[in-house]
Amino acid sequence: MAGQKTFPYRAAVVSCNGECPASAGFQCKYGCVGCGNCMAVCESGAIVWNENQTAQVDEELCTACGACVKACPQEVIHIHECANYIVVRCSNQDKGKAAKEVCRVSCIGCGICEKTCTAEAVKVVHNCAVIDERLCLSCGMCAVKCPRHVIGDLRGIF
Amino acid sequence: MYTFTVNGKEVSTDKKQSLLRFLRDELHLTSVKDGCSQGACGACTVIIDGQTCKACVPSTDKLEGRNILTVEGLSEWEAEVFTYAYGEAGAVQCGFCIPGMVMCTKALLDVNPDPAEEEIKYALRNNYCRCTGYVKIIKAVKLSAKILRTGVIPRPGADDWKIGSPVHRLDVEEKVRGFGKYPDDFYMEGMCYGSALRSRYPRARVLSIDTSEAERLPGVAAVLTAEDIPGENKIGHLKHDQYTLIPTGGLTHYLGDAVALVAAEDMETVEKAKKLIKVEYEVLPAVHSTEEASAPDAPCVFDEEESNVLAHKKISRGNAQEAIEKAPHVVSGHFETPWTEHAFLEPECAVAYKDEDGDVMVISTDQDAYCTYRECSLMLGTDKVKVQNALVGGGFGGKEDMTVQHHAALITYCTGRPVKVRLTRAESLLIHPKRHPFVMDFTMGCDENGKILGVQAKVTADTGAFASLGGPVLERACTHAAGPYAYENFEIEGTAYYTNNPPAGAFRGFGVTQTCFATETLLNMMADKIGMTPWEIRYRNAIRPGGVLPNGQIVDESTGLVETLEAVKEEYNSAWAQGKPVGIACAMKNAGVGVGIPDWGRVKLVVEDDGKVHIFTGASCIGQGLGTVLVQMIVSNTDLKREEIVYERSNTWIAPDSGTTSGSRQTLVTGEACIRACKKLMEARAGGKTLADLAGQEFYGEYLAKTDPLGADVPNPVSHVAYGYATQMCILDAQTGKIEKITAAHDVGKAVNPLSCEGQIEGGVVMSMGFALREKYPIDKNCKPVEKYGALGLIRAHEIPEIQAVVIDKPGLNVACGAIGIGEITSIPTAPAIADAYYRLDGERRYSLPVTGTPYAVSHKTQEKEG
Repeated sequence: MAGQKTFPYRAAVVSCNGECPASAGFQCKYGCVGCGNCMAVCESGAIVWNENQTAQVDEELCTACGACVKACPQEVIHIHECANYIVVRCSNQDKGKAAKEVCRVSCIGCGICEKTCTAEAVKVVHNCAVIDERLCLSCGMCAVKCPRHVIGDLRGIF
Repeated sequence: MYTFTVNGKEVSTDKKQSLLRFLRDELHLTSVKDGCSQGACGACTVIIDGQTCKACVPSTDKLEGRNILTVEGLSEWEAEVFTYAYGEAGAVQCGFCIPGMVMCTKALLDVNPDPAEEEIKYALRNNYCRCTGYVKIIKAVKLSAKILRTGVIPRPGADDWKIGSPVHRLDVEEKVRGFGKYPDDFYMEGMCYGSALRSRYPRARVLSIDTSEAERLPGVAAVLTAEDIPGENKIGHLKHDQYTLIPTGGLTHYLGDAVALVAAEDMETVEKAKKLIKVEYEVLPAVHSTEEASAPDAPCVFDEEESNVLAHKKISRGNAQEAIEKAPHVVSGHFETPWTEHAFLEPECAVAYKDEDGDVMVISTDQDAYCTYRECSLMLGTDKVKVQNALVGGGFGGKEDMTVQHHAALITYCTGRPVKVRLTRAESLLIHPKRHPFVMDFTMGCDENGKILGVQAKVTADTGAFASLGGPVLERACTHAAGPYAYENFEIEGTAYYTNNPPAGAFRGFGVTQTCFATETLLNMMADKIGMTPWEIRYRNAIRPGGVLPNGQIVDESTGLVETLEAVKEEYNSAWAQGKPVGIACAMKNAGVGVGIPDWGRVKLVVEDDGKVHIFTGASCIGQGLGTVLVQMIVSNTDLKREEIVYERSNTWIAPDSGTTSGSRQTLVTGEACIRACKKLMEARAGGKTLADLAGQEFYGEYLAKTDPLGADVPNPVSHVAYGYATQMCILDAQTGKIEKITAAHDVGKAVNPLSCEGQIEGGVVMSMGFALREKYPIDKNCKPVEKYGALGLIRAHEIPEIQAVVIDKPGLNVACGAIGIGEITSIPTAPAIADAYYRLDGERRYSLPVTGTPYAVSHKTQEKEG
């Protein structure tokens, strides 16, 4: 499939760490519920389960067709540009305390990322961090400073 | 203990700190530059396990087992390849971003040996460069890829160092390999660190300063206040109204005013001590804008001044009002241009120490070592001061004033110790003078044939918290507002007001960038009104050799505006005929200070014991490549070879004063002085004397670029010894609304190094793309500007369009081998050309910058679900 891709490459990304099934049982009403719909519609075999039974995308295989985005009942999948490897892995829109109760790695909307970001690319929207990839400089400062490990580096450096 | 590998060696540390600080302060790997420590600039980019990473981001405790590579850890082969490729492509200017760019190059080519252009741009796009416009860095990556694939480094495209040859700049290797030193790269034995406590309020009276607690903090070497200044507290580039430290009882002028100065063993202690200083203020209402500054009951920014007017200029020739009244076609417009930040990659830094003569030695990054010398001497009340330029990581006008040098000098003077004073990026954004925001009202009258009959204008500038170069900037904005056209009736009135905003001063274009936007936009409006193309109206009015400018000056044979217009004619007309959105603008810019101010270039060629000629001149290379220009001039005007010539960085005890790197003047003014020194050298060599025979001898050349003052009582005053001319053209992609191409045709007289010349043009164009499309420098109601480098909206590598630099060599100037400075004009016509192109796209005329309604003006929006 890789041969059909055109640069800049795009891929699906799941905005959920999927810690709640492992730590507290399916409690977060915003995150991945492990229904497998995305996997069923993916023609590239790009979606796999991570250790928490949460959907995860193999960017090498993903063609950014968007089928999984439509199939996800939780709306936690979106298409992004792969060059922007700093991503938010949470969709929880509850306020801090409530968000904390359902997951060990949920966004509590504390805004440290927003304050830290030199490019004004991160904003807390409905209590959850959102990165605007058009502005992001992929430095990872938000990932390093995030007290909840919500923001991650798809390359694995941070 | 955290253990990881750096450049193949295992290192351990138990200190938790950013990787950047560890690499620089502990390992002294100074290729890793500290440009912002915010994750924005990319100058500290290293490779971690094959991936690029800004070293200011991760801390040492998170790096266990990681493998880190810096430029110092490149293999010899890689270093040679990158040095060649960056040199051959002309990718190196100030050099501060280059090690980071080299790391991006390596990381990309390691996994993608034959990348497409778009892939290269993406690999570079998280790193900023403010000099090159990225064009030649992209070329360097392509060339590196090719060499790494073939395994052979070719011969350089040019090795004849004569004028006109695109040789590799002489500072490529030290900048690519990262061993060249900027002031921050100096680590001295026993060095302490200094920083200033800044005013809490933009306008307040300092009632008391209590430093006792800070002084008691262990590790503090000194806490200094105004009382410790032995000489004049107030210094300044021209007018002395910039306080070194605000005294008790004194007024603060902006948030960057220093109240006390702390020196301590390390930066952590410095910051702690600053918090322990107690300052009592009487908070006073601040002046936020020129409207507030000019109000009848406005508070005075300065105790010493009776009003907030720094400068008022009125220039009039002919009778503009009458000409406009009689003109069949008249257009008017109200224009606004914003504050702009230079955003040079290297923040201000100075290292000072007592040298063996007992003098205070200042290692400085500035645009004029002698200026630093004069201001530090004035403040210390002694001439026992020396200044040595280190590498300068970009200036663009923003390093003409004292920001850290005087503070470093004062700490060394008072403590006897070596000290480093360095601005954080947030301080840099606050402290050095910016580009003036202008508000402008212009009216232009033309006849039926599009000939300009008269222009009348009124402009107002916010010059902020101290004079800096506000007066001359206003003056240049006014004199050049007429544009490069032949007409006789011109009148302009300009006022620059002090406010409590950050100071404004010199910025590439020196005021002309602002008024050119107004004049050129009016001309485009006029062309539409009369019914001719904007190209045609310019061609009809263009100043030609022997013609008279609206300032009365008769221009010389080198005048090449028409040639720059002709260079874009075919492409412009073809785009116009096809209905493509195409915009155009012209500009002129003086080379040399001009207007009767003594403008000296001085060069000393010293034959040293190594049998080589060393070039000494007190002229700063701020990244533009002055050293290379001077070497090429010597090779062309003597029988010396490149290998026999050594360029020395500017200093104040061997090199003679050659003025400020400002006003696009060094190539011309210092260049001509250099040629004169060459003549003396060649005379001395008559009779076949070798360099060895001349060892110890000095050959001095000087040149006065003589001009007439403004308002001189002569019919045709010579305001400037030379002008550069340009036409820039912008074509948009009508589908995307993005810029498809910018063609920049520049009359440069003789291009000393065409590669460097192109680099200046590309860099200037991209800088002004930012000015035109997106850059911002917001100031809040507390007169506090933006603190984040990444939020300035600078153009990134993947956003640049095709840029075609057209260098027009036109002889005629009888000094400096015919070379005219190129530094500033590259940035002047870009914005009006872009604004015109967007008008052609959507029919909406833009009167203020940055223009709106373009795909470049992005601000954060919640990501939309896509699919």
